[in-house]
Amino acid sequence: MNEQISGGWEAMMLSFLNTLNLFMAAFDAPSVVLGFRIHGHLVVEAILVVALIYLFFQKSYKPPKRPLTEKEIDELCAEWVPEPLHPPITADMLYEPPVLESAAGPHTIVGGKEVVNFASANYLGLVGHEKIIGSCMAALEKYGVGSCGPRGFYGTIDVHLDCEEKIAKFLGTPDSVLYSYGLSTIFSVIPAFAKKGDLILVDEGVHWGIQNGLSLSRSTVVPFKHNDMESLKGHLERVTRENKRLKKIRRYIVVEAIYQNSGQMAPLDEIIRLKEKYLFRVILDESNSVGVLGRSGRGLSEHYNIPIEKIDIITAAMGHALATGGGFCTGSVRVVDHQRLSSSGYVFSASLPPYLASAAITSIGVLEENPDLLTKLKDNISILREGLLEIPGITITSHQLSPLVFLKLRKSIGSLKDDLVLLEAINDKMLKEENILLSAPKRSTLDNCKLPCGVRICVSAGHSQDDVLKLAMSLKRVAASIFAEI
Amino acid sequence: MVDLLRFSKGMGNLYVQTVPPPDLNKNTEWFMYPGVWTTYILIIFFSWLVVLSVFGCSPGMAWTIVNLGHFMVTYHCFHWKKGTPFAEDQGVYNALTWWEQMDNGKQLTRNRKFLMVVPVVLYLIASHTTDYRNPWIFLNTIAFFVLVIAKLPNMHKVRIFGINAE
Repeated sequence: MNEQISGGWEAMMLSFLNTLNLFMAAFDAPSVVLGFRIHGHLVVEAILVVALIYLFFQKSYKPPKRPLTEKEIDELCAEWVPEPLHPPITADMLYEPPVLESAAGPHTIVGGKEVVNFASANYLGLVGHEKIIGSCMAALEKYGVGSCGPRGFYGTIDVHLDCEEKIAKFLGTPDSVLYSYGLSTIFSVIPAFAKKGDLILVDEGVHWGIQNGLSLSRSTVVPFKHNDMESLKGHLERVTRENKRLKKIRRYIVVEAIYQNSGQMAPLDEIIRLKEKYLFRVILDESNSVGVLGRSGRGLSEHYNIPIEKIDIITAAMGHALATGGGFCTGSVRVVDHQRLSSSGYVFSASLPPYLASAAITSIGVLEENPDLLTKLKDNISILREGLLEIPGITITSHQLSPLVFLKLRKSIGSLKDDLVLLEAINDKMLKEENILLSAPKRSTLDNCKLPCGVRICVSAGHSQDDVLKLAMSLKRVAASIFAEI
Repeated sequence: MVDLLRFSKGMGNLYVQTVPPPDLNKNTEWFMYPGVWTTYILIIFFSWLVVLSVFGCSPGMAWTIVNLGHFMVTYHCFHWKKGTPFAEDQGVYNALTWWEQMDNGKQLTRNRKFLMVVPVVLYLIASHTTDYRNPWIFLNTIAFFVLVIAKLPNMHKVRIFGINAE
C-alpha cells in the first residue's frame, strides 16, 4: 500500500517537473501578439493578478456540513427509540440493605441487635477512637463545621496545610494535596493529567471511581487483564510498536494497590520495571492500602521496598484506614502543584471540613504511635483466611495481606445477578442468625467491571480474635446450609 | 404589530448587545488583532533588509532567500504542525493545522485572502528581481505552488497522498 502511494507520488512529481520545465521555457521565449513582443512571464503575471482580483471578490463561507435530507431526517426519527432513564425495576432492586443504627465501628447495631461489622473499611479500627473524636471536637469549636469555600477561594485553613504536610511526611513525598471527597480524588486527578489523545493502560478490574476518571479524561483507554503483568507487557509492547506518535502524547498505567473489586494486590516491582522500560507514568490508587501495607503502613511502595518517588502519582481515599473523610494525592512537587490550578475536584469543590483534616492528622499520629495496630490487623487477616479455607462452595480470591478478604463462588450459578442473589441470601442469613454484618457490593449500572461479584469482608484491627473466629465458624455453617438447599 | 416592532427596536438600544467572539481558539485568535497585517509585511520587508546586509548579495537573491525562508517557516507553522499549545481546549484541534483552525474554519475570509496574497506577491517580486533565471525561478515556483495549493479552500482538511495525515 505504502509503495503504491510513494510510486504514485513519484510519477506525479515527474509529470509536475515536466510541466514546470515547459512552463519555464515559456518565460524565455518572447512571442508576438498583435504586433507587441510579449514575454512569457508577463502572461503568467497577468494570470496571477487576475486570479488575485478574482480571489478578492469571492465571498467568505463556512465549509458546509452536508445537511440531512428530508428523508434522512424522517428515517432517523423513525429509528430513534428513547432509552429508559432507569432499567425496569426487578425484584433484586427492591432488596433493602440493613440499616446501621450506630457508628460503623467493629461492632455496630442493626435492627436493635448488636452485630459484628465486617462491612466497613475501617481497617485500623480507628472509627470512634477517642483521640480522633477529641481532635474533631477541638477543630469544630475552633473553626466551625464547613470551610465555606474552595481551597483557592477563602477555603484554606491551617489544618489543611498541616494535614497535607503530615501526609507527605508520613509517606515520604515532597508534598501532597487534599480533596474533599474520597471517591472524587481519583476521578479528578486522572483528567488533570491525561487529556484527549493521551494513552492510558488500565487494569480491567478497577473500581468505578477510576473508570469515571478515565472517561472524563477523554483519553484513549486500553484495558489489560486483571492483575496480569503478561497482558500489561503485551499491550505495552503492542502500543509502542503500533503508535508512531507515542512519544508526543502522555502515557499512563493506572492500577490499584489493592483492588476493591477483587482484593488482589498489584505487583508494583513488575509494574515499575515495565513503566521504566516502556517510558510510561504510573497512577496508583492506594485507597485500600495506605495505613495497611508495609512495615509502618506507608502503603504498597513500603511493602515492596521500592522508593516512593518511582510512583509518579498516588491517590487515596481517607475514609478507609484513616477513618475520616476526603482523599489526597501525592507525588513530586510538580505533580502536586499542577493540581492546585488544574484539578477540577480541588479547584471547584468546597475544601475538606477542617475537623476531617484534623482527624486525618490525628489518625496518622495514632498509627505512628501504635505500630502494633498493623500486626493486629495482619494477625486477624491470617486467622480469618485460615478459618475460611474449607468453606463449601466458596473460595478466597484476595491477596494474603489484603484487609479486603474477597470471597467468590467456586462455580458461578449462571449470571452475575444470580450469583449476587445467592451471596445476598448468605449475608442475610449471617445477619439474622449469626449477628454478623457482611456485604456483597452491588455493581452500579454505570460500572463496567466484569470481574465476578463476591462477598467483601473488611477485616479490622478493631476486631477481636473471637470476632474473627466466629465469622469463620458461622460462615462455614451458613454456607453449608445454603449450598445444601441448591 | 408595527408599533410593537418599533417599541422593541427602541428598547433594544437600552441594552448592551453581546456578540460571541468570532474565534475562541487562542492559537489563532491573535491573527484577528489590528496591526497584524502591517506587522507581517514589515517583518518580511525587514528580513529582506537583514538578508541583504548580512549576505551582501543582490536584491533579487535576497528576495529569493526571503521567499524561501517565508515558505519554510509558514509551511511548518501553518500547514504542518497540528493542534494547539494550549491544554484547556482538551485537544479538539489535535487533527487540524494552524491554517485549518484559523478563523474557526471559515474559508476565504479577509485574513485568509491576505495570507494567500503574500506568497503570490513574494513570488512575483522574487522571480522578477532574479530576472526569471534558473534555478531560482524553479525554487520560487515550487514554494509558491506549495503554499498556494495548501491554502486553497478546496484543500480544507484534505491531506493529498496522505502527507502529514498521521
